[in-house]
Amino acid sequence: MRKLRAWCLRFAALFRKEQQDRELAEELESHLQMHIADGVRAGLTAEEARRQASIALGGLEQVKEHFRDRRGFPALEAVIQDVRFGFRMPRKSPGFTAVAVLTLALGIGATTAIFTLIHAVLLNSLPVAKPGELYRVGDVEQCCNNGEIQGNWSIFSYEQYKYFRDHTPGFVELAAFQAGTEMVGVRRANSSQPAQSMRIEFVSGNYFATFGIRPYAGRALAPEDDRKDEPPVAVISYRAWQETFGADPSVIGGAFTINNQPFTVIGIAPRSFFGDRLTNLAAFWIPIEDQPLINPIYPLVNTAQQNWLDLIGRLCPGGDPKQIGTRMQVELQQWLLSPIAQLQTADRASVPKQTLRLSPGGAGIRMLRDQYSSSLQLLMWISALVLAIACANVANLMLVRATGRKAQTAIQAALGAPLSRQIRQALIESVMLALVGGLAGIAVAFAGTRLILRLAFQNTSLAIHASPSLPVLAFAFGVSILTGILFGVAPAWITAKTAPIDALKGVGRSSGRSGWAQKSLIVAQAGLSVVLLASALLLTQSLRNMRGQNFGFDTPNRYILHIDPQMARYKPAQMLAVYRELQDLLSAIPGVSRVSFSLYTPMEGDNWSEFVYIDGQTPPPPVHNNEVSWLRVSAGYFETLGTKILQGRSFSEQDTPTSEPVAVVNEKFAKTFFKGENPIGKHFGFYMVWKKVGNFEIVGVTEDTKYGEPTKNFAPMFFLPAAQSVPSVDDARFSHFEDASHILNAVELSTLGKVPGLEMKVRDAIAKVNPDLAVIDFRSFAQQVDNAFSQQTMIATLTSLFGLVALVLAAVGLYGVTAYSVERHTSEIGIRMALGAERGEVLGLVLREGGKLAFVGVFIGVMAALGLTRLMGALLYGVSPADPLTFAGVAVLLMAVAVVACYIPARRAMRVDPMVALRHE
Amino acid sequence: MGEKPDVWQGTLSVMVLKTLQTMGPLHGYGIARRIEQTSGDLLCVNYGTLYPSLLKLEQEGYIASEWGVSDNNRKAKYYKLTRAGRKQLEKEAREWEQATTILARFLSPGEKSS
Repeated sequence: MRKLRAWCLRFAALFRKEQQDRELAEELESHLQMHIADGVRAGLTAEEARRQASIALGGLEQVKEHFRDRRGFPALEAVIQDVRFGFRMPRKSPGFTAVAVLTLALGIGATTAIFTLIHAVLLNSLPVAKPGELYRVGDVEQCCNNGEIQGNWSIFSYEQYKYFRDHTPGFVELAAFQAGTEMVGVRRANSSQPAQSMRIEFVSGNYFATFGIRPYAGRALAPEDDRKDEPPVAVISYRAWQETFGADPSVIGGAFTINNQPFTVIGIAPRSFFGDRLTNLAAFWIPIEDQPLINPIYPLVNTAQQNWLDLIGRLCPGGDPKQIGTRMQVELQQWLLSPIAQLQTADRASVPKQTLRLSPGGAGIRMLRDQYSSSLQLLMWISALVLAIACANVANLMLVRATGRKAQTAIQAALGAPLSRQIRQALIESVMLALVGGLAGIAVAFAGTRLILRLAFQNTSLAIHASPSLPVLAFAFGVSILTGILFGVAPAWITAKTAPIDALKGVGRSSGRSGWAQKSLIVAQAGLSVVLLASALLLTQSLRNMRGQNFGFDTPNRYILHIDPQMARYKPAQMLAVYRELQDLLSAIPGVSRVSFSLYTPMEGDNWSEFVYIDGQTPPPPVHNNEVSWLRVSAGYFETLGTKILQGRSFSEQDTPTSEPVAVVNEKFAKTFFKGENPIGKHFGFYMVWKKVGNFEIVGVTEDTKYGEPTKNFAPMFFLPAAQSVPSVDDARFSHFEDASHILNAVELSTLGKVPGLEMKVRDAIAKVNPDLAVIDFRSFAQQVDNAFSQQTMIATLTSLFGLVALVLAAVGLYGVTAYSVERHTSEIGIRMALGAERGEVLGLVLREGGKLAFVGVFIGVMAALGLTRLMGALLYGVSPADPLTFAGVAVLLMAVAVVACYIPARRAMRVDPMVALRHE
Repeated sequence: MGEKPDVWQGTLSVMVLKTLQTMGPLHGYGIARRIEQTSGDLLCVNYGTLYPSLLKLEQEGYIASEWGVSDNNRKAKYYKLTRAGRKQLEKEAREWEQATTILARFLSPGEKSS
C-alpha cells in the first residue's frame, strides 16, 4: 500500500517539476545558511564556515540530482524526453519524414495486407461459441463421392451420419451438413417476379445448436424441423436478408417457394455467421430431410451409398478426439459390413483398412485453405522482401542523416551524455517513425486487401473482409516496432562510433565507414529488387502462356449460363421438349447465332469421369488408368463453342434415341486408345464395376480440348449426344447417373458481335418458358475462362506491383546515396576541376560509382533469384524458372534505372563551380 | 573527520523517524545534526543522501512537511512524524531489537546453543 502511494506521488511529481525544484533549492539554501551560522557561532570566520558547510553538504547539483531521482521516475522522464525529441526531429525535416513514412507504409502495408488474408483464410476460427471444442470427422477435403470406398473417410451418407450420431457418446452434438452449397430458384409466394437463383445448404436439425449460434431474429432450426412430415422451413443468412430482401422484417415467417416448393423462413442467422466455409456462402439453411423436396431427381437422403455430408461435432468437455476417432473408425467398419451399406462384395475385403480421424473443426471446412495456402505463403515471402527493401531504404536515409548529425552527436557525447542514452534516443526516433509508417501502412493494407479480394475471388460470395481486425492491427504494430528497431540500428551504430573528440576536430569531413554501410544497403536493395522483378516477370509470362494456349475452343462472342430444371420440377422425360422450346426462344433473340446445351462447360470446375472399355481390346485390369472425362452435349455444341472437328462429323439432329448410339472423342482419346489407327467406326463403352455398359460408335474426332486445370496436359475426353441414352442395365447406381446425365445444366450461346442487353433478353426468354426456372451465373465464356486463372492473376499482379515498388525504392535509395555523396565531395570535385578535370570526367566518376553498386547488386540478385525462382517451378507454366531472357531483361532494366537515378546528382556534380566549391568549407 | 563511518544503508530512515519522535518537528539540518550528536559524533550523515531519504519517507506517508521559521528567523522546511510514521517506527524498532539480540547471541563468547 505504502509503495503504491509512493508510486502515485512520484508519478504526480512528473507534472510539477518546476515548483518542486524551487522548493528543494530553498530548502538546501536554508540548510547551508544554518550550517554556516553554526560555524560562525563556533568561532570560524564567515568564509571558513561557508567552506566547511559546503564540503559537508557535498556538490549541490549532485544532491539535487539524487533528490530528483527519488522524486519522479528518471528513466521514464528520459524516455518521455526522447519521445518528445523524436517528435520534434521529423517536423524539422518534413521531406525526409514524408519519404520515410511513405516507404514504410508501402512495406508494412504490403505485409499487413497479405497477413489479413492469411489470418482470414488460414488462421481464423468461425464466429461460434468455443470453436476449440469443435472437431470435424475426417481430415481431408472431398467435394463429392459416389459411393466408392474412400480409404481415409471424410464425407458421409445420411445413413452413416445417423449411425454415428446415435452410437458415439463422445459428442455433445454431432451435426451434418452438405459438402458445399447448391443453387436453387427462390421466389416469394404469390410474387409475379421470376425466380432468383440463390445458394442453399442442407444441414441437420442440430446444426445451429452444435455451433452454439443464436439467431439474429426469429428462431434457428431445431431437430424437430428435420423430419420428413414437418412443414418445410429455412433459416436465411443475414447477408441475403439484407441484400436480396432489403432487410424486410416480414421475411421472418414469410412464405417462399424454393424450387417451386412452399417453404417458411423461420429466422435470420446472426450477422457474423457465414456458414461453415469461406466461399459460395449459403443464403438459406434447410433441414436435410427436405432435400428430396428440392432435388426430386437426386434424392440423397435415403441412398446409403451417396456420400455428400460433412460432419462436425462438439466434443464433451475433456473428450479426447483421438479416442473418439478410433471408436468411430470401428463404428464405420461395422456399418460398412452391415446390410444397409450394400457394399460390393469385392470391396468387403478392404473394410478393415478403412480409416477415420478427427481434425480440429473450429475453423470450419477449409477447401480454400488447401487451394490458397501455397500462393499465400509465396505472397507473404514476397511482401516480406518488399518490407526488407523498405527497411533498407529508410535505414539508408537515417544513415545519411545520422552522418549529417555527427557534429551534434559528438557535442552531446562531449557534454557527458551516456552512450546508452544516445543509442536509445536514436532507436526511439526510428521506432516512432516506423509507428507512423505503420499507421499509414494500415490504410495501404486495407486498400491492398480489397484489391486482392477483387482479383482473386471476383464474383464469388466470400466471408473475408478487408477491414483490419484486432489480430491484424496487432500484427501491423509488431511489424512496425520490429522494422523501427531494424532500420534504427544503423544510425544508432553511427552514433556509437562517434567519439567526443570529433566535436573538437570539427566534423563534416567524410569518413569511409558510414559510406561502406550505405553501399552495402544499396547493393542489398538492388539485389532484392532483382529477385522480386524476376519473380514478377516469370509469373506474368507464365500467366500469359496459360491464357494464350489453345484450349480447343474459342471464347469471343460466346456466353454461358446455367439452369437447373429441378427448379421448375421437370421430370427427365419432359426435358427434350423443354430444351427444344428454350432453343427456339433463345435462337429468336436477334444477334444470337447458335444455341446449345451440355452437362457442363469448359473451365467451370465441373467434371464427370468414368472408366471405359474399348471394343476388341482386353478389358482393363481392376486397377486401371483409363478413367476418362466425358459429357453429354446437344447437337451443334462443338460449333457453338468453336471446337474444330478434325475427322468425321459432329452431332446432328439425326442422332436420335432410335438411331445408332454414337460418340465423338478428342484427339488425345484417339491417340491414347487407338495409337495411330483410324478411330472412326471403332466402338467403346463405359466399364462400370467390371461390367461393359453401352457401346458407342465413334463418328468424329475433335481437336484436343482442355476442360479442367489449365496448367495440366490435355486429357482424353469423349462426348455423347443429349438425345441418346444408354440402354438401361440392372444397376441402380448406373441408371441414376444415366438419368442425371440428361439434365443439361449448361446453356451456351454464340452471337454475331456484341448484342446490347443480351443478358436481359436471355432472362426474359427463360422466364417465358417457366418463371420458376432461374438463370444461374450468366457470363461471357472469356470471363469464365479468366475465373479459372484468378489465383494466378492475383499472384502475378501482386508480385508485379511489389516488384514495381521495389524498383522505385531501389531507385530512390540509389539517388539518395549518390546525391549525398556528391554533396559531401563538393570540395573534392571542385579541386579536381580546378586542377583541370573535364566535366565529362566528373560525370563519369559519379556515374561509375553508382553503376558499380548497382552492378554488384544486380549480380548478387541474379544469383539469388536463380536459386529462389526454382522453388516457384510448380507455379510456372511454359516458362523455365531460369529463363535467360527474363533475367537479362531484369538486369538491363535495373541498370537503366540505376543510371537514371545516378545521372541527376551526377549532372549537379558536373556543374560544380570550382571557386564556390573551394570556399565551401 | 574522514575517519567517521557513514550511516549504514537502511538505518537512516529509522534514525530520522526516532529523531522526529524525540524532538518533534524539525528541519533537515536539525535532523542531521541531532543524528550526529546522538551517535556521539561517531557517525557522519551524508547530507546528500538525507534529503532523498526524507522525500522517500514523505512519499510513503511516514512524515509530513511544512514550511516554517527557524530559531534564528530563517525560512526552513519542517518535518514531523505522522501516525503511520509512529507505527512504522515501533515496527522497525522491534525488528532492530530482534536483529541485534540475535546477532549478540552469535557474537557473545562461551554461550552454547542447546
